[in-house]
Amino acid sequence: MKPFSLTQPKDADAAIQAHAKLPDAQFIGGGTNLLDLMKYGVMEPKSLVDLQDLSFHEIGPGSDGGLRLGAGVTNAETAEHPKVKKDYPLLSQAILSGASPQLRNMATNGGNLLQRTRCYYFYDCATACNKRRPGSGCAALKGFNRIHAILGASEHCIATHPSDMCVALVALDAVVKVRGPEGEREIAVEEFHRLPGENPEKDTVLKESELILSIELPSSNFSKHSHYLKVRDRESYAFALVSVAAALQLSGGRIVDSRVALGGVAHKPWRARAAEDFLKNKECDRDLFLEAGKLVVKDARGYGHNDFKLELAPRAVAEALLQAWKGQES
Amino acid sequence: MPGQLLFSSSSKQGSSCFVTNRSVMVDKCVGKSVPRKEGWEKVTGAALYVDDIVKPDMLHGATIRSTISRGKIDRITFEGDIPWDEFVIVTADDIPGENSTKMFVGEQPVLAKERVNHPEEPIVLIAHADPYLVRKARTQVKISYIEETPCLSIEDSLNKAPVVWGEDNLFKTIRINKGDVDAAQSEAEIIVEGEYFTGASEQLYIENNGMIGEYDAEEGVTVTGSMQCPYYVHPALCAVFNLPKNKVRVIQSDTGGGFGGKEDYPTIIAAHACLLAMKAGKPVKLIYDREEDMVATTKRHPSRTIIRSGHKKDGTLVFMDVDFALDGGAYMTLSPVVLSRGSIHAAGPYRCPNVKILGRAVATNYPPHGAYRGFGNPQSFFALERHMEKAAKQCGLTADEFRRRNFFREGDLTATQQVVQDRVDMRELLDQALEAADYHNKRERFKKENEGNPVKKGMGIAAFFHGSGFTGGGEQKMASIAGVEGTKDGKVRVLAASTEIGQGAKTIFSQIVADALKLPYDMIEVARPDTDDVPNSGPTVASRTCMVVGKLIQTASLALKQSLVQEGGLDEDYTPEQFAQACKDYVARNGKLRRYSQYEQPANIVWSDETYVGDAYGAYGWAIYVAEVSFDTRTYEARVNDFVALQEVGKVIHPIMAEGQVQGGVAQGIGYALYENIVWKNGRMMNGQMTNYIMPTAADLPVIRVLFAEQPYASGPQGAKGVGELPIDGPAPAIINAIEDATGVSVNQIPATPEILMKEMEAAGVC
Repeated sequence: MKPFSLTQPKDADAAIQAHAKLPDAQFIGGGTNLLDLMKYGVMEPKSLVDLQDLSFHEIGPGSDGGLRLGAGVTNAETAEHPKVKKDYPLLSQAILSGASPQLRNMATNGGNLLQRTRCYYFYDCATACNKRRPGSGCAALKGFNRIHAILGASEHCIATHPSDMCVALVALDAVVKVRGPEGEREIAVEEFHRLPGENPEKDTVLKESELILSIELPSSNFSKHSHYLKVRDRESYAFALVSVAAALQLSGGRIVDSRVALGGVAHKPWRARAAEDFLKNKECDRDLFLEAGKLVVKDARGYGHNDFKLELAPRAVAEALLQAWKGQES
Repeated sequence: MPGQLLFSSSSKQGSSCFVTNRSVMVDKCVGKSVPRKEGWEKVTGAALYVDDIVKPDMLHGATIRSTISRGKIDRITFEGDIPWDEFVIVTADDIPGENSTKMFVGEQPVLAKERVNHPEEPIVLIAHADPYLVRKARTQVKISYIEETPCLSIEDSLNKAPVVWGEDNLFKTIRINKGDVDAAQSEAEIIVEGEYFTGASEQLYIENNGMIGEYDAEEGVTVTGSMQCPYYVHPALCAVFNLPKNKVRVIQSDTGGGFGGKEDYPTIIAAHACLLAMKAGKPVKLIYDREEDMVATTKRHPSRTIIRSGHKKDGTLVFMDVDFALDGGAYMTLSPVVLSRGSIHAAGPYRCPNVKILGRAVATNYPPHGAYRGFGNPQSFFALERHMEKAAKQCGLTADEFRRRNFFREGDLTATQQVVQDRVDMRELLDQALEAADYHNKRERFKKENEGNPVKKGMGIAAFFHGSGFTGGGEQKMASIAGVEGTKDGKVRVLAASTEIGQGAKTIFSQIVADALKLPYDMIEVARPDTDDVPNSGPTVASRTCMVVGKLIQTASLALKQSLVQEGGLDEDYTPEQFAQACKDYVARNGKLRRYSQYEQPANIVWSDETYVGDAYGAYGWAIYVAEVSFDTRTYEARVNDFVALQEVGKVIHPIMAEGQVQGGVAQGIGYALYENIVWKNGRMMNGQMTNYIMPTAADLPVIRVLFAEQPYASGPQGAKGVGELPIDGPAPAIINAIEDATGVSVNQIPATPEILMKEMEAAGVC
């Protein structure tokens, strides 16, 4: 690892100032992703601003009956929090399907939002990657692209966002509260991550030196009927090939409202609004769910090794909706 | 076989091989799960692996490799913002002796000179004191090529499209003939034909390859590193540096796994490290990172097998005609011996009067494929046990009944016309394994439950055997020597080049010596494999360490005792304390006390390398494995839910380690069958990372229930045979047979990843 400076500010404003002032700075939370990237030489920040002394390590009530998740709270604590388990089981399930207990004990909610892609070529500095080195090209386009995007990709990047937590957050209409040199603002998680377009080096819409303070969960009507399904190459230490956060609000067997979001298919967690609209006011049914799934991949395309996702994604959507219909208890 | 099963379980505890009071009696050590000899060092972090070792003024090396599969080297340029004058740079021109790894015909160069024959072939070596600068510099050595058409499949190679090695691409052809297959055609009432494919796979030992080379004009070269076979490295370095034997020293550092992957390739790394050290005049460390280790070093040979078998209406075998082909990669290396083992076992543990086996190892332009646990048998047993499933179906018999009717009986002849002398009844083993797996009840139940269920379950069997030790006359040619030393501290020290690679060699050697000398386990030490100190006990391969080398040190132990009794005045009925004192006295009086034993072929073993007729192995391990698998018709994922592994490997020396060997082999076999897929592009491995080469984790594995039936082997130490390789031969066919049982779909290729299963199932109209 190359030398870097470490600053440990005591509050958010000091952290933001330090970040703005120091050369080539990165915030560091649990470090479960950033330290790997530094060891591989993918990211080589000169300054690290450590956030552990900030007071954003709590889960508490949010506005309008919602829940506020501090950005510094660990993934493990969030997943096991009684309020999260009771009112947002989808989020708990998503977090627990990712990484390993050791990683979840270190990884923070803010850090999870800022996870970088797991594209093999992004990690391999000997290859071309527009996300790592803008303008160098995309080795994945004609390379081994089994885990890559089928939706919203560009000719510059076909990487996927790796988080499970964020897929559930998108389905739950969560909002990210950030503060920067110019003050505070709120960004819907759905808008927080971006598509690669011509600037794949940018994962999110965060501005320079903006710091995530919390994730705001609105009150939810989905706690009884939700399911997070993750399809992956093995049971642990594997990111989603396709994952689905599905949630239903039911009146008898009729769908009053629904949420469908996918992971592993795009540069950002993918909210499937067309499928949600299609499901509205219909009666729950396996074939209906499969049709909803097919709507998700209407404009999708494969790049060779990942062609199977075109078939897998609709089936996964159908299965997740089926499980959500059955309910959490099962 | 007496139906005695040893149900191994981890609850069997520890050792009682310690002297109690002043009792003369020392408990027997063999058969007990004593603490591992090197366990304490490993769990406390005291063990030194090669990357832990630092030498004064040491430089860090790196290897520049070919990026193409076949062609001439045009130009090498050193570019970028790199202080190249500070670097030590080595090419083939710097080699003082032979540019050869000395494996078999020795055509594999240490460094490519004018042309390359596979991707990742080493061409240039660089070294510098700053490892980060080395990492940067390696990307700035640019090599241009004049590319030639490569050969990238077994079929293309057999069709000479194009010829890339010798006159016909054939590294080795083996023909095994028993009876008359042509004449037997008319006797067969049912003919079964099939074609089967297995992919390459990576050993994935925990510790990557690495070496530290040192050079001194007076002393010669010394290399320390991770390896299985010090005496493979030694003669190669003598040739590369044109040095006599006593000017080359090879030392094994603590080694984190091998599985065959550190059998031949460490020779190349050792030569590279020493070439850099010679030119630098300083020690040079050369450590591969995971990706370099995965893409550049050897993997299991991919295979293609065509089997045609003839049967009577009752299923009994009339003839077997096997065409077994292995992709050897660009150089011969170990392919002839991998082919030999795979061919000899290709007709399996089945009585068949007429057998024809054609084995061929062919050249392609992939990096050379090499040794990986099982060594040809996982390939031939996948084909055979899939074929037996097909034959059973075609003969209208169940998988178990079909096998029961065809198994060897005592006194039958194998494919090489060896008389089966092991008193093992495969029919009894089969019954016991099926009972342990609850096979019949589960099959009944699954048949009902699978109706309308998106998840289908099934049961699969594999029956197989595995010869212990080198094939045929190999042990006789090797003529291994191992020994023991009575030390000045009154202890006994094992002298062998057989390496501890995590499999427990140090522990079992100590157990065998302890019992041979009636001494407590703690009085036994094991010398570090160092060619200046230990004799050539042969390579650590082929399930031979326990059976062959273990027997040698047992014999040497008795010679040591005899010397102390006859020359040291030790009473025949000694206590450990008296033995220790006799050692001390002897060494003080006469100097070193070392006794050796050399391998001698048991008189009843007869073998011909020309005709492939005779006793291919002194002894075999026998096994029946049963897999329970579920298959998800929505995601095409297969999962192993339960696994029963029953084997007969002679006397079990250390129950917990033997159980661990089997569980590890089954785990690797599950990876081989379902997960581990190498993605190639123009001969290069594209997924050389542990995030995209998917090996199963503990969470993916079922409970692996390990059972031993013990049948002591007369020529093994206390009756032991080999156990290392056997367990990886059977899991893949058992699992794929179970998928067929669950879905009715016959899959004849592994790894059966979800993508492959999707194609097969859709073609069969199942999902």
